[in-house]
Amino acid sequence: MLLNRNPVAIEVDSLVKKYGDLTAVDSISFAINKGEIFSFLGPNGAGKTTTVEVLECLRKPTSGSAYVLGFDILKDQNEIKKRIGVLPQEFNTFDSLTVRENLQYFAGMFGSSVDVDGLIKLVDLEDKRKEQYKKLSGGLKQRLGVAMALVNDPEIVFLDEPTSGLDPKARHEVWNVIRGLKKQGKTVFLTTHYMEEAEELSDTVTIIHKGKIVATGTPEELITRYGQRNLLILRNTDRAAVPLIETLGIDANFDTETGDVNVTLDHSSDVSEIVKALTIKQMAFGELQLKRSSLEDVFLNLTGETLREAETP
Amino acid sequence: MNRILIDLKASFKIFFRSKAAVFWTLAFPCILILLFGAIFSEMETEYSLYVQNQDVVDGEPTLASRNFIEALNQTAAFNLHTLDPTINATGYALDEKLSYMLVIPEGFENDVSMANATIKFIYDQSQTSAMVVMGILNSVINEMNLGIASYPNPPQHFVVLQPETITPKRFSFMDFFLPGMIAMSAMTTSIFSAVEISSRYRETGIFRKLATTPLRRIEWILSRTIYLIVVSFIGMGVILGLGILFFDVKVIPDPLSIILVTTTSMLFSGIGMILSRFVKDPETAGAAANAITFPMMFLSGSFFPLEQMPEFLRNIATVLPLTYVNNGLRDTMIMGEPQRAIINTIIVAVLGVICLLVGAWITKWEEE
Repeated sequence: MLLNRNPVAIEVDSLVKKYGDLTAVDSISFAINKGEIFSFLGPNGAGKTTTVEVLECLRKPTSGSAYVLGFDILKDQNEIKKRIGVLPQEFNTFDSLTVRENLQYFAGMFGSSVDVDGLIKLVDLEDKRKEQYKKLSGGLKQRLGVAMALVNDPEIVFLDEPTSGLDPKARHEVWNVIRGLKKQGKTVFLTTHYMEEAEELSDTVTIIHKGKIVATGTPEELITRYGQRNLLILRNTDRAAVPLIETLGIDANFDTETGDVNVTLDHSSDVSEIVKALTIKQMAFGELQLKRSSLEDVFLNLTGETLREAETP
Repeated sequence: MNRILIDLKASFKIFFRSKAAVFWTLAFPCILILLFGAIFSEMETEYSLYVQNQDVVDGEPTLASRNFIEALNQTAAFNLHTLDPTINATGYALDEKLSYMLVIPEGFENDVSMANATIKFIYDQSQTSAMVVMGILNSVINEMNLGIASYPNPPQHFVVLQPETITPKRFSFMDFFLPGMIAMSAMTTSIFSAVEISSRYRETGIFRKLATTPLRRIEWILSRTIYLIVVSFIGMGVILGLGILFFDVKVIPDPLSIILVTTTSMLFSGIGMILSRFVKDPETAGAAANAITFPMMFLSGSFFPLEQMPEFLRNIATVLPLTYVNNGLRDTMIMGEPQRAIINTIIVAVLGVICLLVGAWITKWEEE
C-alpha cells in the first residue's frame, strides 16, 4: 500500500482485460493525479468502460495491476469501494423512489450520514426532491446520478459517459456540476466520446482506441502536438486571392466545391497580413472564418479515423 | 443488517407504489376466489333431500306419510331420494356426508290424529343450505297443519319438525379452494417478482450501481427473499380474510402452514433467480415463468381435486412441487391433520432450500 500523501490518485500498469478472444483493454498504463479531471476519450467500444469497471472493482483484469488511492484493486476492494463514487454508464436507479429516497437509499448502503439535501442542492434538483425518478428528464436523471455518486463523500468520482444522449442544454448543466466537483477537490475520472466535452472539462485527456492508449496530455498539448494547423476560410472570394496569398509565403488553395479559399495558418499574425494584402488589391471577400484545430483532428491524425467513423463496427 | 433493512424498506415502498404489482399480487387472487366461489358454491337450486319413511304398515307407507311426501314434491324445491326404513339414518348421513335428511317416524299417521306428530330433521349446522331446507320444510309443515285445522277446531300443531344436528367431517369447495389459492399466490408472487427484479435490474444497470456500493450480493438476496416471503404472507392474509368474510371458511394458520408458505416462497424465488440467470431479457424471462406456473396451477390440484383428474395427469402432479404445497396446506389448515402434512412440508422445505441456494449462487450482478 502506498502512502496516502501520494499525489497520485490512480496508477495503472500494463492492464489487460480479455473477453474470450476479444482483447478489450490491451496493456495500458497511466496515472491520474489527485484533484484533476482526467478524461478517457475514445469511441464506443474503445475499452473505456471496461477500464473504469476494473478500477471500480466490478471486473477482474486478465493481467496487469492497478492501484486506487494506493489500494490494490485485487486485494482491497472494500477499501476502494468506500472511497470512490460511481456514475455508471447508462445510469438507472429505482423508478418509483423519489430523488430524495434514492439518495437516502444509497447513502444508507454506505452507512453514510451525508447531508442529502446538500447534495440535492449541489446538483440543483431542489424543486424535484419529491419527484419519482421515472418522471425526471434525461438531464435531471444524470444530475441525480452524479449526486448519488457523491453520497459517501468519495475522493474519486468515476463518471462514465455522463452526458451521453443529452441535449446541449442538459449537457452544459451536467458540465457545471462536474466543474463543481473539481472545486470541491475531488478527483474526477471521466469517460466520454464527445471530444468537446473532454476539451471543455479536462486537465488531462487520454485518447484510447481499440484498447490501446494512443496519446495523453492536456487538451492544449494534444492539439499542439497532434492537431492540424489552424485554418482560415475566406468565403465568396475570387480565386485570384490564392496566388496573392501565396506571395506572402502562406499556403492557400481554392475549394472548387464550396468556392472558398482555405488558408493554412502557421501564425495567428498571418491573418492581418492576408487581410491587408486583400484590401490593398481591393479584392472582396464575403466572410472570414478562423477554424481552430480540435481534439477531433487529434483523434483523426492519430487513428486515421474520425471519432464517428471509429464507432461504426 | 442495516443495509438489509434499508433495502427492505425501499422494496415495500416500490411495491405499494406499483398499482400493477399490488393488483396482481393481492387483488387478482381475490377476484379468482369470488369468481370460483360464485360458480361452484351457489350451484344448488334444487336441494337433494333424502327421506326415510318409517311409517309403514304391511309394507305400504301410510296415507299421512305419503301425503306429506307428496306435499314436499309439490314445492319443486327438492330432488327427493328415498332411504330404506331399515337403515340407520344418522349413520347414513354421516357416512355419505349429507348436509341434511328427513325421517318420518313409525306411527306418524297415528300421531297426526293425536295432534302429536314429529318429523325428524337431521342436519349439519355448518351448512347454510341446511337452514334454507329447514325453512322450506317448516313452511310445508305449517301448510299441512293449517289444512288439518280447517275443521271447526282452532289451529293446532299436529305436526312439528324436530331438528337433530350432526357434524360430519365435510369440506366445502372453498375449504378446498383456499389453500390452493394461498399456494398459487405464494408461487406466482415469488417467481414473477424474482424474475422481474433480477432481469430488470440487470438490464437497466441497477445491479451495476449496487455493485459499486458496500452492499453484498448475499445481503441483497437475503433482503429480496424476506421481502417475497412477507408479500406471500400478505397475500395469504388477504385470501384467508376473504374466505372467512364471505365464505365462512374456518381456518387458522398453524405453524406448519406458515413453514409451508415460507418455504414455497423460497422455492419459487429460487426458481425465479435461476430462470433470470439463463433467460436474459425481462420479457422472455416473464414468459418462461408463465410457462412454469401456468400448467402447475392446473395440474397440481390448486383449483380442482387431483382425484377428479385422469391418471396420467395425476402422475404428472406427483413431480410438481406445488402439488406438495397444496396437499400440505389442505392437510394442516383444513383437515386439521398436521401429522399428514409433515412429509409434504419436508419435501417443499428441502426443495425450497436447494432452489434458493442454487439461485443465490448463480445470481450475478455483472455479466462477464
